[in-house]
Amino acid sequence: MITDAQRPVGFFTDSSLCIGCKACEVACKEWNQLPADGYEFLATSYDNTRSLSGTTWRHVAFVEAPGAGAPGAQQTWLMLSDVCKHCEHAGCLQACPTGAIVRTEFNTVYIQQDVCNGCGYCVPACPYGVVDLSPVDHQAHKCTLCYDRQRGGLEPACAKACPTDSIQFGYLDELQAHARQRLEELRQRGVGAARLYGLDEGAAKDERGEGTLGSLFLLLDEPERYNLPARVELPQNTVVPSSVLTAAAGLLLWIGAAIAFGRKW
Amino acid sequence: MKTDYYGLPVLKRPHWQWEIALYFWTGGIAAGTYLVAAIADLFGDEHDRPTVRAGRLLPLPLVLVSAALLIKDLGRPEKFYNMLRIFKLKSPMSAGAWGLFAFGGFAGLSALLEAVAAADNLRLLRRLVGLAGAPFGLFLGGYTGVLIAATAIPLWAGNRLLWGPTFIASAFSTGVAAIEAALALSGRGNRETLGKLDRVHRLSLTTEAALLAAGLARLGPSGRPLTRGRWSSLFVPGALGVGLLLPLLLGLLPRRREPSSGSTLLRAACVLLGGLLLRTCVVYAGKDSADDPHAYFALTRRGRR
Repeated sequence: MITDAQRPVGFFTDSSLCIGCKACEVACKEWNQLPADGYEFLATSYDNTRSLSGTTWRHVAFVEAPGAGAPGAQQTWLMLSDVCKHCEHAGCLQACPTGAIVRTEFNTVYIQQDVCNGCGYCVPACPYGVVDLSPVDHQAHKCTLCYDRQRGGLEPACAKACPTDSIQFGYLDELQAHARQRLEELRQRGVGAARLYGLDEGAAKDERGEGTLGSLFLLLDEPERYNLPARVELPQNTVVPSSVLTAAAGLLLWIGAAIAFGRKW
Repeated sequence: MKTDYYGLPVLKRPHWQWEIALYFWTGGIAAGTYLVAAIADLFGDEHDRPTVRAGRLLPLPLVLVSAALLIKDLGRPEKFYNMLRIFKLKSPMSAGAWGLFAFGGFAGLSALLEAVAAADNLRLLRRLVGLAGAPFGLFLGGYTGVLIAATAIPLWAGNRLLWGPTFIASAFSTGVAAIEAALALSGRGNRETLGKLDRVHRLSLTTEAALLAAGLARLGPSGRPLTRGRWSSLFVPGALGVGLLLPLLLGLLPRRREPSSGSTLLRAACVLLGGLLLRTCVVYAGKDSADDPHAYFALTRRGRR
């Protein structure tokens, strides 16, 4: 729950400003004391990080895109620093059976490490493939939106380190307004493929089809190019209809078996 | 050309291993045996006494094994008790932990009553316990299907409405099979009760086969990890052939007056093996399905309805 004293905060990651320097990846690892992941040469792009993981909470995607992005360009690099979405309706949080995953006073989604017992159910419950068990302590980890820095009134390490302000940190309502304004600006400049991710498109929706993300993104191509799903429904929307059908099937089998056994009733 | 990010997975693979597949099976059998015993006790007659006895004694050891498997699967088994820290209806994992806990109580009570009061003097109490535990049995047999459905994994979420019903049908069929096997091995079965078990068996196997067929049709290309991938060589001949088709065909054979314990045992073994292979293939093929970005993009693009 959001306390009255605290306004929700979040990220706005504007990929049109990203230069792919990976300072965010490094700053995140340093501040959060995350271990190195080893080195795997993927030979596909300048991205050898591959994806977010339990030990990598910012990941810069590199897309070599012929003809995409700026008008008239023959070759464009699309770069995007991906991060936990801090969903308004968070699949990991709803799935968590221990209450380890909570919503903080800053409206962010946070995993309490002393509570998590590594059941791993949050992993397939995240529609963005963000949260993962760490090979180090076998517990679930992801971006904390630098909860400790929030407490000290500091912006998250990645946003602080970003040299182009591609990663912006602030109050969510202000970021949303700014994101819309930035989209309009880019469209006017002729970047027709620009789109926002996390306001309507891409945001995990609850049963009523509502929900936004605490991490907004400005993309320059379809979400799938960045390995982001376009339309996301909260996995837990399934629980009620699926349970009702399961109970119905169970009752029918019960009645069938009762008839098979029965002489009474 | 399909849009993706160098073909890299969008989702993270669930870390679940054989413990979870085995638990889905043992939990299902525990639920099935309990339910069949409760039904046989409530609606059956004196011929069904061996069925009731087997179905009262089997759930407890199965629940204990299930709990051990679940704890072993945790990343931090020593913190398992945090599962009982909160109760969250929207999380099938939380509801499941509590459900297994509650069902374990009924399984223990049933076994205790059966052990201490073999005579009919506590019949009413035993029937009440059977009936009171039945909702928990139904829950335990089916929630595992809801649990996998409430994820983003294409194989699991793509058939979100039918995994639960499929698993509860399999819980019934494997439960009946376990009781049949116990009766055949102990030589306590009789023609009347085996005939009734046979009817329940055919009902649950037919239901399970129909639900699986509907599920695979609904999944379409998202079902490939089960039907084409590396798990298909176990799933198609094993779970479908040995686990469903063969027992259904065996049931069609003309029956002799006295059912031979050999043929009963054979069919029970087929169904039990089939149930294990079904859970194993669904869990492991689900992990493979998490690696396929196109299956996931197709699911999110079409919406789930």
